[in-house]
Amino acid sequence: MAARTTEQDEQTGTPVPASAPAGGARKRGRVAGTVSLFGELLITAGLILGLFVVYSLWWTNVLADRDADQQGNEVRDRWAGGPGALDTKDGIGFLHVPAMKNGEVLVRKGTNAKDLNRGVAGYYTDPVKSALPADKKGNFSLAAHRDGHGAKFHNIDKLKDGDAIVFETKDTWYVYKVYAKLPETSKYNVDVLKPVPKESGKKKPGRYITLTTCTPVYTSKHRYVVWGELERTEKVDRHRTPPAELG
Amino acid sequence: MYGWIWRHLPGNVGVRALISLVLVLAVVYALFQYVFPWAEPLLPFNDVTVDGEGGARQ
Repeated sequence: MAARTTEQDEQTGTPVPASAPAGGARKRGRVAGTVSLFGELLITAGLILGLFVVYSLWWTNVLADRDADQQGNEVRDRWAGGPGALDTKDGIGFLHVPAMKNGEVLVRKGTNAKDLNRGVAGYYTDPVKSALPADKKGNFSLAAHRDGHGAKFHNIDKLKDGDAIVFETKDTWYVYKVYAKLPETSKYNVDVLKPVPKESGKKKPGRYITLTTCTPVYTSKHRYVVWGELERTEKVDRHRTPPAELG
Repeated sequence: MYGWIWRHLPGNVGVRALISLVLVLAVVYALFQYVFPWAEPLLPFNDVTVDGEGGARQ
C-alpha cells in the first residue's frame, strides 16, 4: 500500500511524506469520488437525453393517436345521423391525403400547440385567418406535426403535383389537387397563408388549400408548404361512398 | 452516486435489485409524465406553423 502510494505520488509530481500515507490516500479517494460522481452524472444526462428522443418520437405519437382516434370516433358518431350542415364543434372534418399514407386526419380549429399535440391538424385562425372549404373564395390553411404528437404531416414531402387532397365534412367531399409546393421557407413567411398565395403562382382569388409543417424532419428550422386547388366537390351519400381518389 | 444508493438500500442483493428496478421505473415515469411535457415546448424541435413570431405560438 505504502509502496504504491509513493509511486503514484511520483507520477503526479506531488511527493507526500512517507509518514502520512493515510492522509494522501484519503485525498485521492476524494478526488476519485468526485471524478466518478461527475462521470455518473454525465452518463445519467446521456440516458435522459436518449429517453427524451424516445418520448418525442414514439410516446407522444402513442398518446396523440389514441386521443385523435377517440375524437374522430366522437365526430363520426355525431355524423351518424346522416349528412347535415357544417359542424365546427370538435372538428370540422377529416383530411385524406392518399400520398401521405396516413389514413384520415381530424381537422380542428386553431393551430396552438395544445390543440395540435392531440394528433390532429388545425386550421389557422392567426396570423392569417383561414377560409373554410365551403367558402366561395379563400385559402383553407392547415398545420400539423411532422414528428411526434401523431406526426400527421410526416410524409408531406411525398406529395407531388396532381396528387389528391380530399377533405371530408359532414355533407361534402372537397377534392383538391396539389399544384405547387415550397420545400423550405422561413417560419416568418406568413404570406403563404394569404387568401391568394402569390408564391404558389396564383394571381386570382380561388378555393385553395395550404398545408404547412416543419422541415427538415426532427427539427423546426424551416417550414414546408404545399398548395392545392379545389377541383370539384361531391355530395356525401348515405353510405359515405368516398370519391374515386380515395379508392 | 449509484454506488452510494446501492449501499444504502436494505436487504440482500435480490431485494436491492428489485428496489433499484422500481426506482428506475419511477424516475422514467416522472420524466415521461411531468418533465418531458414541461421541457418540450421550451425546445425548438416541434414548431410547425408559420406565425411570424419565431414559433412562440407554435
